[in-house]
Amino acid sequence: MHAGASLPRIVAAGLAVMIGVTACGTSPPDGASLLKQSSQRMLQLKGFHFQMQISGFTGSGEPVQSAQGDAHPPELHAKVNLKEGGILLEVEVIFQAGNVYLKSFTGGWQQLTADQIAQVFDARTLFDPQTGLFAVMRDTASPTSAGIEKVNGHDTYPVGGMVQASRVHQLLTLIRDQGSYRATYWIESTGGNLWRARLSGNLFDASQVATIIFDFSNHDHAVSVSPPPLG
Amino acid sequence: MITPFRSARLRSVNRPALLALTGAGLFLASLDAYVVVTALLPMLTSVHIAVNRPEQATPIITGFLLGYLAVMPIAGGLSDRFGRIRVFAACLALFAFGSFLTATAPSLSQLVTGRLLQGAGGGALVPAVLALAADLYPAGDRSPVLGAVSALQEIGSVLGPLWGGLITASSFGWTWIFWLNIPVAALLVWALWPEIRSRADAHQPAKLDWLGALLATAGLALLTLALYAANPEQSPVGESFFWQAPLAVVCFALFVWHERRTSHPLINVRRFRDSSFSGSALTNAIAGAGLMVALVYIPVLANAVFSMNASGAALLLFRLMLGIPIGALLGGWLAQRLRSYRLVAALGLVLAAIGFVMLSGWNEGSLKPHLLGLPLTVADGELFLTGLGLGIEIAPVSAALLDAVGEAERGAGASFLIIMRLVGMLVGFSLVAGFGLWEFHRATAHLLPPLPGLNPNFATQFAIYSLKVRQAIFDEYHLIFRATAVALLVGALTAAATLRPLPRPRWQ
Repeated sequence: MHAGASLPRIVAAGLAVMIGVTACGTSPPDGASLLKQSSQRMLQLKGFHFQMQISGFTGSGEPVQSAQGDAHPPELHAKVNLKEGGILLEVEVIFQAGNVYLKSFTGGWQQLTADQIAQVFDARTLFDPQTGLFAVMRDTASPTSAGIEKVNGHDTYPVGGMVQASRVHQLLTLIRDQGSYRATYWIESTGGNLWRARLSGNLFDASQVATIIFDFSNHDHAVSVSPPPLG
Repeated sequence: MITPFRSARLRSVNRPALLALTGAGLFLASLDAYVVVTALLPMLTSVHIAVNRPEQATPIITGFLLGYLAVMPIAGGLSDRFGRIRVFAACLALFAFGSFLTATAPSLSQLVTGRLLQGAGGGALVPAVLALAADLYPAGDRSPVLGAVSALQEIGSVLGPLWGGLITASSFGWTWIFWLNIPVAALLVWALWPEIRSRADAHQPAKLDWLGALLATAGLALLTLALYAANPEQSPVGESFFWQAPLAVVCFALFVWHERRTSHPLINVRRFRDSSFSGSALTNAIAGAGLMVALVYIPVLANAVFSMNASGAALLLFRLMLGIPIGALLGGWLAQRLRSYRLVAALGLVLAAIGFVMLSGWNEGSLKPHLLGLPLTVADGELFLTGLGLGIEIAPVSAALLDAVGEAERGAGASFLIIMRLVGMLVGFSLVAGFGLWEFHRATAHLLPPLPGLNPNFATQFAIYSLKVRQAIFDEYHLIFRATAVALLVGALTAAATLRPLPRPRWQ
């Protein structure tokens, strides 16, 4: 009798515990602390691989379209696609010990001056500790986090918020310095690795929505960048 | 491969309508065989690949050819087992799915997968439609129908680059080359639906040589990978060439070993002992390689140094493509008239080689009209001559191979002809693409571009640099065209040394 009467209670209690546990599991951590933790984590890494893809750019000139490479900021080695007149051109850049090297369409490596690199693409600004993406993370306003999403096979919390255009303009000077933009970060549930970041809004043109997506991998794999042979 | 059988029910249906519908599908697929050659640049840009990394375009072309080659040997047997029209419809659906993947590709990997499936679907249509035509018409009436089906395929492939160039240059853009395939394929399947639902044309399964097909495909895939120069700055062949190429040779050796033992071989390999058979197969492959070089590099040259758009490049190539059917007719007539395959085949290949040597002399002024005040250039004549030569060799080389296999293996021989041509295209193009780009990088290894910034002479320096780059591109193409001319001369010598004369007509 006793055992029979307690069975429904045990089942109910078990269900309550399960629901409680499940509810706790789906409730994401606070967005602001996730961003802070991830920002610190990314700035402390020995190196990482990154890919950046811009879509929706309508302007003229020679803007960067995409970039991918390995970085241990401020040192970095990347292949960059520049778009000119509807045609993509790939160049390779190395930022090492304050020097900048470029390998273009033909020939070997050349060392660039500061004003020359400004005309191509100064990739150092992307991950600058004070003004780059990981610093922008800390300055994201009204961050809200959502349930777990898989990014490249990893459990991440997406954290969304708004960032001031002036902050993002420091990251990439092509971006308009007006208003604010939507930012979303996918932060690994354990450890705080940033796997993806997306900036969206009228980034380049007041009437055209554009996005920049950063994908990260090989977190904390040591990256050492050495100066290339010139010529 | 193609195993025609008599089907009373199929002959009771509206034969012209059935043939027209399946022929339309074949035409659609053959249009897409070389359609990308005039659309490569925007295709690359849309999957975020830079114009100075053209080696990444190679799999877009080789993927289609590999897919085509992988299914050709088994498609005839599959249509025996499941019915011609069912296999036709399934392959057309695969072709349409491949078109969808290509049109929507956000990345190079999806683009190549789409092209591979397009090739597999499109390649299987050829034996299925040829076998259907053989079913529908009795032996005595079959020749003109098979000829018409083959002609449809050839015309489609000739018009493909023009079709691709015109759509790419229009406001629709390159994706519409592939989007348009989907409703047309759907319409054809819908029209054939009553026949698809019926299983009446399915037959007792013929034994399929799966292992043979697998070994041949694996060998070709490995060879394509071995020759793919993913980093032409470092090497003219793939990084894994030294293990992939020997493994490909092992696959081909196993294929030959297996074919000699199996009861239903894909190809009777003992035929290779006959010099006329092996000579015509080799000549056919070399001519295929020559055609592929022209198909790919003339539009690329038009884009890269003559700054032509896709339709301009397509029209330039069309001058060469126009020569092919005219040459094909002329070659057939000449072979009959002179009663010599070897002479006519060698003549065609020598003319094509001369054409390529002429193309290798092109410079910046080559496309300026100056021929007797007419809107024609010497280049037009050179392109036409190259196409004419490539066309002239088709009939004598094909006929020599078909004569060598005899009546009983004619179907298999016809498929083998197409396969050897495609193998030549695949291997020849893979080789040329890698070595051409390697040579370009070698020639420009020390050509540093001027940098802007505070440089007061930047504009002048950049103009000089641009000229040097264009000259390096010209030099690369000159080398490619000369190498192709040498290969075609080797083909001409092979044809002259190996092809047997025409058999005497039986009524004499």
